Amino acid sequence: MKPIFEKALTVIMAGGRGERLYPLTRDVAKPVVVFGGTYKIIDFTLSNCFNSGIRQIYLLTQYSNLTMTRHLRLAWDPLFRGELEEFLETLPPQHRSSEDWYHGTADSIFQNIEVLERHKPEWVILLSGDHVYKMDYSRLLEYHLDKGAELTIAAVEIERAQAREMGVMGVDAEMRVKTFVEKPADPPAIPGSPQRSLVSMGVYVFNTAKLVRELIRDARTEGSQRDFGRNIIPNLVSNGEPVFAYPFRDERHRQPAYWRDIGTLDSYYAANMDLVDPYPVINLYDTAWPIRTYFGQHPPARIVDSSIDLGLHGKVVDSLISSGCVISGALVERSVLSPEVRVHTGAQVSQSILMNGADVGRRARVHRALLCPGVMIPDGATVGLDPDADRERFIVTEQGVTVIPGGFEW
Amino acid sequence: MKAKLLVADDEKNLRELYKTELEDEGYEVATAANAVEVLKLLESGEYDVIVLDIKMPGMSGIDLLQKIMARDKHQPVILNTAYPSYRDNFMTWPAEAYVVKSADTTELKQAIRKVLAKRA
Repeated sequence: MKPIFEKALTVIMAGGRGERLYPLTRDVAKPVVVFGGTYKIIDFTLSNCFNSGIRQIYLLTQYSNLTMTRHLRLAWDPLFRGELEEFLETLPPQHRSSEDWYHGTADSIFQNIEVLERHKPEWVILLSGDHVYKMDYSRLLEYHLDKGAELTIAAVEIERAQAREMGVMGVDAEMRVKTFVEKPADPPAIPGSPQRSLVSMGVYVFNTAKLVRELIRDARTEGSQRDFGRNIIPNLVSNGEPVFAYPFRDERHRQPAYWRDIGTLDSYYAANMDLVDPYPVINLYDTAWPIRTYFGQHPPARIVDSSIDLGLHGKVVDSLISSGCVISGALVERSVLSPEVRVHTGAQVSQSILMNGADVGRRARVHRALLCPGVMIPDGATVGLDPDADRERFIVTEQGVTVIPGGFEW
Repeated sequence: MKAKLLVADDEKNLRELYKTELEDEGYEVATAANAVEVLKLLESGEYDVIVLDIKMPGMSGIDLLQKIMARDKHQPVILNTAYPSYRDNFMTWPAEAYVVKSADTTELKQAIRKVLAKRA
């Protein structure tokens, strides 16, 4: 473990049900929804921890299941050595200080105060399990110490119109947080940039003593939603506590760094499509900051000209193709294919996400669609070209992405 | 109306001392010798302040505090212990006050007054 983290404890809050990601979360917990073909969403935060040099992690969850347990065991357990006091532990609600399940993000930590007592860390690094970004948390912690903060909130600039779903901050020249509003109807802009807002990434460093006091106070506050963004942070800010924003920037490109909250089907789709840009905004190929996962055993991906006599060539453009995929005499463009996907002769797949084992039949057309694991598209069928027809059978998102749940019978 | 107190301590002499002294202060005082007795009393009655010893046979005052909080987060509890060392234990922080026991009950009385004043 990197020395700076020796007095820190890292807690990843991954307790949400992920209802807005239904049907992706029908069979698996939200942190283990597949992302970017071969990864699970949680792999990004865990890779950040691991690459930052953090080796003591609690993962708070309440909708764990076989997929989650298995993924953590296969992909992550081997990286943590018990002999070195390293661990990655999953913590469901303990039902000690409460009879209930977790009510909100703050409640999930409140219900685990005994864990904080056991480790007695000086600082608690609180992370979320459903964000896609690459961040060195040691810099965040250094910043927290330099500022003498009680709480530091990692912050990123985004379009003001998109800030309505976020915690929006106002800061002074020293980055001290002066205002904090969760999900404002009219998000405040950054001074000098009327169309931009500074939003919380849901990544925090707290001085532990302050955190514990605030959690206890919040637990006794009637009407509190037990939420960091809605209750704990606004209260600290309005009490004049030293709360600072850490500007998350891409130093190399001198711009706000890439960060996405995978909360909805549309944000999930958009973040996957970010990966197929010719110059992707998030680089999965950076050996200095690898995103780890468990790949499983699959043969190499295969793209074949199986139907030369029909004049159909297997062609893939601007796409991520995972191991075990076979694309024969079909066109795949701007798409993300998980392992073991089949795209058959004459089919066309564009701007789509095909999850594990999906199968696109001959001459079928799939456009702006999300196929859940194992979905079979029959020969000649079309998806994503007629929203009204799709709406009768499938889920069509606000942004017009057609989503076909696993097990759909044609 | 008299404020109702519940005082838990495993030492009989201390229980009697607290009962006498706190009744003299004008409170209605129930006592318990351990966590089981406290929980039983809580099933049938409500108390304005609960005073808990930490080292008791069976469930400790700290674990009991957690159980009480799980039932009612607003229940005022004062920890009254011979050991100052638990003050740093996060699990004791939900208590309204932490009093280090002595033969003199002035500090405990003050803490009770303060908690009751806050509630009023």
